[in-house]
Amino acid sequence: MAPELYNPASQRLVEALAAKLRRRQVLGSRETALETALVLRQVVSKARFTNIHQLVEIIRDVGRKLVEAQPKEHTVGNTVRKLLHHVREEYNNASKGTVASSSNVFSISKFVLQGQPRKQVTTQKTESALVLREDDPDDPDSFARTLKPVLMEAIQVILDELETVYENIARSAKDHIHSDEIILTVGKSHTVETYLISAAHYHNFTVIVAESGPTYGGHDMARSLSAAGISTFLVPDSSIYALMSRVNKVILGAHAVLANGGMYAITGSLLAATAGRAHSTPVVVCAGQFKLTPLWNLYHEYGALDFADPSSVLGFEDGDLVDTVDVVNPYYDYVRPDLVDVYVTNDGDHPPPSIYRLIKESYDDEDNEL
Amino acid sequence: MTSASSRSILTHSIPEHEEAFSPSFDIYEAYQRALTNPEVRVSPYPSSFLSDSLHKISAPLAAILSLTELITQSDAGTMFELVKALNDGAEALKKRVHNPIGLNAGSELFIAFVTLFPHESASFSELKTELVRQGQIYATEALLFRPKIAELALGFIKDDSIILTHSYSRVVMQTLLHAHKRKRISVYVTEARPRGLGIKTCEALTAAGIPCTVVLDSAVAYVMDKVDFILVGSEAVVESGGLINAVGSNQMAIIAKAANKPFYALAESYKFHRLFPLSQDDLPTHNPGILSFSQPQHHLTPELVARPSVSSTSRPALKTSINSSSTPNTLLPASSVQRTMTDEQISRNPDVDYTRPDLISLVFSDVGILTPEGVSQYLVGMFAG
Amino acid sequence: MTKAERRELQERQRAAKAAKTAAGPAAGTPTVNVKGGGGGKLAQPSTPASPAPKKGGTSQGAAQAKALAAAVVTGPAKGAKDAKAAAGVGEDIVGSRGLRIFSHFALQKTAGHVAKGDVHPAIVRLGLMFAEFKVCGANARCIATLSVFKQVIQDYVTPQHNTLSRHLNTHLSVQISHLVSARPMSVTMGNAIRQLKLEISGSDIDLPEQDAKDELCHKIDNYIRDRIIIADQVIQETAMKKIHDGDVVLTYARSSVVEQVLLEAWSEGTQFSVYVVDSRPMLEGKRLLSVLAAASIPCTYLLLPALGSVITEISTVFVGAHSIHSNGAVYSRAGTALVAMMAKQHSVPVVVCCETYKFSEGVQLDSFTKNELAPLGDRFSSFPLTRPRESLTLQNRPNLEILNPLYDLTPPSSITAVVTEVGVIPPDSISSIPLALGRQMI
Repeated sequence: MAPELYNPASQRLVEALAAKLRRRQVLGSRETALETALVLRQVVSKARFTNIHQLVEIIRDVGRKLVEAQPKEHTVGNTVRKLLHHVREEYNNASKGTVASSSNVFSISKFVLQGQPRKQVTTQKTESALVLREDDPDDPDSFARTLKPVLMEAIQVILDELETVYENIARSAKDHIHSDEIILTVGKSHTVETYLISAAHYHNFTVIVAESGPTYGGHDMARSLSAAGISTFLVPDSSIYALMSRVNKVILGAHAVLANGGMYAITGSLLAATAGRAHSTPVVVCAGQFKLTPLWNLYHEYGALDFADPSSVLGFEDGDLVDTVDVVNPYYDYVRPDLVDVYVTNDGDHPPPSIYRLIKESYDDEDNEL
Repeated sequence: MTSASSRSILTHSIPEHEEAFSPSFDIYEAYQRALTNPEVRVSPYPSSFLSDSLHKISAPLAAILSLTELITQSDAGTMFELVKALNDGAEALKKRVHNPIGLNAGSELFIAFVTLFPHESASFSELKTELVRQGQIYATEALLFRPKIAELALGFIKDDSIILTHSYSRVVMQTLLHAHKRKRISVYVTEARPRGLGIKTCEALTAAGIPCTVVLDSAVAYVMDKVDFILVGSEAVVESGGLINAVGSNQMAIIAKAANKPFYALAESYKFHRLFPLSQDDLPTHNPGILSFSQPQHHLTPELVARPSVSSTSRPALKTSINSSSTPNTLLPASSVQRTMTDEQISRNPDVDYTRPDLISLVFSDVGILTPEGVSQYLVGMFAG
Repeated sequence: MTKAERRELQERQRAAKAAKTAAGPAAGTPTVNVKGGGGGKLAQPSTPASPAPKKGGTSQGAAQAKALAAAVVTGPAKGAKDAKAAAGVGEDIVGSRGLRIFSHFALQKTAGHVAKGDVHPAIVRLGLMFAEFKVCGANARCIATLSVFKQVIQDYVTPQHNTLSRHLNTHLSVQISHLVSARPMSVTMGNAIRQLKLEISGSDIDLPEQDAKDELCHKIDNYIRDRIIIADQVIQETAMKKIHDGDVVLTYARSSVVEQVLLEAWSEGTQFSVYVVDSRPMLEGKRLLSVLAAASIPCTYLLLPALGSVITEISTVFVGAHSIHSNGAVYSRAGTALVAMMAKQHSVPVVVCCETYKFSEGVQLDSFTKNELAPLGDRFSSFPLTRPRESLTLQNRPNLEILNPLYDLTPPSSITAVVTEVGVIPPDSISSIPLALGRQMI
């Protein structure tokens, strides 16, 4: 921890976001990711550091605080991890000549981890014009000065990705959905909505929206889809199995995609995916890459351990029942990787077994625990 | 420190053989020595608490160490010759050991490493020294793999978990003991006939204070509903992402799949083996004697007397002795309930089996938590091209 | 106004009958108007006359066909001109293939349809109760129907030159069609009525009328007693044995049989807890919940989507059935198929409690061939009060149609056992039930 390296204004920003996250004033994967990226930008632009470790420590510290404030919003941690990955990459590119790498020696454990040695040589593709001087006693800010523009660029890349995520995902929509298909979706997902509306420009199809109690997000979804001209049916969750024999595809949104290829998604998604599997209907999940989380589902029940308000299930109007009966109202379901056929992301389509590889490429292992 | 001491052991043991790799350098003997080498007993755990066997290094590491010895002894002048000598040594070793799978994994890893080692040293002998040093460093580092795996697996073990495990595995033992320090667990372990190693596991766990019960191999399906997840060790993790382990693991994995319980395999990275078995018959340990039918006898034999083994099925490399007049369990009269298999019958049974990757939920390794598909990434990285 | 309406109705009836022979199946083009008008078809078990009471509301003209929330038609009953008008209207608003695919579902009815023909007032009242879902549930509806039929029979007077055994059936058919127009008949009602009609046509001609009527009422009582009440008791005793101390039982929506099983098991002293899973549109589970909670059974309540989170803790699932088919498939409240599927995935046994009179010959392939839609809107107060009504979509809009199927079909592979009064039967052997009953009429 190097609190002295980050100034009070930055600290206040971080505290403010942490408080908003804790109170759930910022909700939703994309929103939280955007806010996190903006706060990181501020912190990094004002931070003072003389070597790479201090920089990494600053960023990790911010990440730790935010993740602790709201562990259920996984995209906060993901944004921080992504930034750290970019930071290390830039640093390694810039410093390949000047700084001695940690171990020149090729050992067996390195061999196992990284594969054949020739692969290591080829990673340094870009010729970096940066000359990094760490811990320079005469000019302590030189390191920071030279690296900061690069960092700002990296954060901008992250922000750009977040901003264009819906359009990029929707690009493949017209190839996946055909005319006269019947699509089933659950609850409200902005990603799926954009996807379907984009496909509707090219084809005519029908969408069945399951309302997903007790939040009934499906109602909003159905309204916006029908307003966009797509023929929509709104059905209660109980009829998912009944209608599945007519459904051609199930398209779901995700809250977070886990390291084994499984995902957390709004309740009702597990029912739809399982029923789809029972009828051999393809299950497609639309998710931005910022939702990829290097975490494992440690709790097989109660996906994501995020519970919502029980009064929407059994309200106080059923007064006499309220104190004698337990109510369970989990907000998310955990969907196993074998129930999903493909993840459509802003960076292409990926089957669940390859998600672990995407995660390895986007994040560094040491950041899994911030 | 350890490399110095192990080197001292090596210089100790390079006695009479001054000449180059002569056939008199017994790699098998080096291997045996490495397996039981007391000097490599470096462990973060106080030795009083753990049984000796936990300190013994595993077969792949012993193979690497014996190959490093071979390098020291060898007089090869070029890389080509050295690699050839290493390959020959590995072959010789393979023939002498009954179950060469773990050993193969280790030798393959080391030989691939040697082949790909960048030639930075000035002279060839310096290179050889460097290779030997790397091998020893790795063997020492590898001792830390098991605690690493134990730590990774800890997150998946919840309080009041009921775990099912198979036979005896050092890495599983370490994981369970590590978990026991922080959480409440109970363990079912299968007997793992015919060697009965499960009983050894149970004794060790009970001694450490973990509630443990031995389960009949045939009762795995019965107990499966009560279990939260299954944890097994491995002899090797193969290219398909599947597992080679003591016989009974495949069965357990199939039952776990049917009951929707997670099946976790613990494997250190030196057990990743470049092998792709297509079926149980495709394993290197397979031989036609396994599960063969014995020739019918001309006269009726009383039930408890073993049939003398007919010559066509006997195998020279077998360690277990096949006595043609092998005494069955004659302690009990014929009318008693308990019967046991004769050695000859046991010899017709496999030692290891292959578990398919779709039955395995996750593989815990020192390189991280991997899905079975993830294992092949490492194998391709090491061995492709 | 009513008399004029009535005359108009009867006019239309005659026209319909004439058109029926001419138009044949062509009249019933199943195009569904997005707003819900047009012709929907429902495959009905045989009911001859066509009530078409809807016409009362459409006296303002064909244009109003669009304004109809729904119309139920039995067979090609609509008058040719109506059908054409509806078709004409429907075709230009015909939706995509999706909208057409669901058109055969029975569409909702507006309340307050007019009784046509000689309908007994008790039947009218019963029809209203059905339409308002005041009486729902396969057993409840059947018992109510039979009780009302007793009244009808008692009040019935055989017209001259006719015999009870021949004419009563016709009379009853009129009542039945009125009930059907209120809400499609349940399989239980169908089976019971078939049995009743058999009894009627088999009744002794020489018997004086009152005696015949008394005998019929007596037979109805016996039917209710044997096939429903006693059957339920036997099922309770059998199913109770499957609940052990420490079990966690899961049930879905509200089945009268399962409710009795749970209460009985609890009163016998078995210690268990219950998870009640509930879902829209009817949210019947809440009623079950209050009954169980009143009996002090520890309960947990959740909505259907939360099922995945709790299924690992469940020991057994008990559900009821609306009807059961010869291939072992169970036709039950919508959502039962999902519960059974999830349970089977986690190796939790699924036990269906079902009387034999619910057996339906014939095999249904999916939930589409025969189903019913619940009325739109918040009829059952099934939305949480925490959600403001404006944010919910309660009515159809352009391009948006709300479907609330009431039933679904659970395939036999998801079911472990069916408990009936003749024993516990695996789902694949259901077709042998008629045999077990000695081939009496089901």
